Amino acid sequence: MTTEMSPESVSGPSSTDQSGPESFSTTASKVTTVLGWLSLASIAALLAFGLLISPPEISQGESVRLFYIHVPSAIVCLYIAFSITFVGSVIYLRKQSVFWDLVAGASAEVGVVFLGFTLATGMLWGKPTWGTYWTWDPRLTSTAVSFVLYLGYLAVRRLDMDPVARSKRAAILGIISFANLIIIRYSVAWWRSLHQGTTLDPRDTQLDDSMLVSFFLGLVALSLTFAWLVIHRFRVAWLEHQLEAQQLEVAIAERTASAGPTGLAAGGA
Amino acid sequence: MVDNWPHSSLQRSDGSLTEIDLTPVEPSSTASRNKLRNRLLMGGVLVLLGFVLFQALTSARVFFRNVDEAVAERAEIGDQTFRMQGVVVTEPAENSRGAITFQIAFNDVEANIVHIGEEPSDLFELGMPVVVEGHWEGDVFASTQILVKHSESYVADNEDRPGVGENPTYESESNDGVG
Amino acid sequence: MGWEYVIPGYLIVFGSLATYTITLLRRGRQLAAQLPPEKRRFLD
Repeated sequence: MTTEMSPESVSGPSSTDQSGPESFSTTASKVTTVLGWLSLASIAALLAFGLLISPPEISQGESVRLFYIHVPSAIVCLYIAFSITFVGSVIYLRKQSVFWDLVAGASAEVGVVFLGFTLATGMLWGKPTWGTYWTWDPRLTSTAVSFVLYLGYLAVRRLDMDPVARSKRAAILGIISFANLIIIRYSVAWWRSLHQGTTLDPRDTQLDDSMLVSFFLGLVALSLTFAWLVIHRFRVAWLEHQLEAQQLEVAIAERTASAGPTGLAAGGA
Repeated sequence: MVDNWPHSSLQRSDGSLTEIDLTPVEPSSTASRNKLRNRLLMGGVLVLLGFVLFQALTSARVFFRNVDEAVAERAEIGDQTFRMQGVVVTEPAENSRGAITFQIAFNDVEANIVHIGEEPSDLFELGMPVVVEGHWEGDVFASTQILVKHSESYVADNEDRPGVGENPTYESESNDGVG
Repeated sequence: MGWEYVIPGYLIVFGSLATYTITLLRRGRQLAAQLPPEKRRFLD
C-alpha cells in the first residue's frame, strides 16, 4: 500500500536520527498507518450517521445518539480490553513474559479510557432519560467498582518498586478485576435494576435500521481505534521498558567504576 | 517514573541486585519522595474503592420492590425508604402545593404517589415505567425521586412502525435502504 | 430535545481520543530518540 500520508506525520519528522522506515523513530508502522486511516474513516462515518443521518428517537429524542458511543465503548472495554489484560496477566504469571505483561498493561490503560467514556456518556444519557446523572443501581455500581479496580491496576503499574514484583502484583490485580466484570454482565439479570437489559439480542433486534447502522459504525470505529491505541501504547511501553533496562545498566556500570572494592564490601546494606 | 526507578531499585535491601554496592548517590530525599508517591497512589485508589463500595452496600439496603409487593408488605415496611417500580397509570397532575400526584401500578395493584423533589425527566408521562424512591405515609407513597426506566426498544421519530405512532404517515424516505 | 447532552458526550469522547493519541505519539517519538534503533521495537 502506498500510504505516504499518515495520521502520525502530523507531529512532523523527528529531529536528527535517520528517518528511514527501519529506524523506528516513531511508534508507527505500516499496519498502524492503515489502521489509523480506517479508524478515522469509520469515526467520520459514525459522526455522519450518528449525529446527522439517523433520526431522533420517538420518546427520548436526540439523546438516543449517545447510545451509539455508550454501548460500543462499553463492549470494547469490558469484552475486549479487559479480556486481553486478563489473558496477558495469566500468561505473565505462568511464563514471566515481558511481552504479555506490557500487552496487559497497554490494554488496561486504553480500556480504562474507554470505560471512562462509557461512564461519561452513560451519565449524560441518564439525565435526559432517567432523570438523574447517577444512581447507585447494581449495574452502575459494579461498573464504578470496575473503573476503580482498573485505576488501581494502572496505579500499581506506576509504583516505584522492583519491576518484576510490580508486574506480578499488577497481573494478580488484572485477574481479580476481571472477575468483577462478570457481576457487571449479569447485574441487570441478577438484581432489579433501573438500567435497561440487553438491547441487542440477536434474535430480536429492537433497534430501528439507521440506528442499527449507527450502532455498528460506533462498534467498528471504537474497535479500530482501540486496536490502534493498544498497539501504540504497547510500543511506548516497550520503549519505557528498554529505557529502564538501559538506565539500570548505565547506573550499575557507573557505580562499579566509582565504588571499587570498598563498594563491594558494603553491598547489601 | 521511568527515570526514577533505578534509584530506588539500587537501594533495595533484598540483596538480589547487590553484587556491587548500589546505595544511591543521590540524596535520600528522592527515595522518600518516591515512597510517599507510592503511598499516595495506592491510598488514593483505596479511598475511591472504599467510597464506591460504601455506596454499593448502603444503597443495596434500599430495597427495590414492585408495587404489588410494596402494598402487600406495607405493614412490615413502615416508614423505611425504598424504591418502588411500576407503570404510570394516571395522568400526572400538580397539586396546590407544587407536588406531583399520580398512580403507578404493577401486576394490577395500584399505589398513589405524591412526589416532592427534583423534576422528573421529560420522558415522565402516562404509560411510562418508573422507579420512585421514598416511603409510605399511610396509603400514600411519598416520593423524593422519580426515575424513568429506559424502554428497551428504539423507534425512529419519523418512521411508521406497526403499533407505534398514532398517525401513520407512510414516508417514502425512510432510512431502510441506507448501509 | 437532548442535543445539550449529545454534543458534550461526543466532544468528551472524541476530544479525549485526540488528546490521548497525540500524547502517545509524542511520548513514543521522545522515548525512541533516547534508544538506539535496534532496541526500539519489539521483534520476535
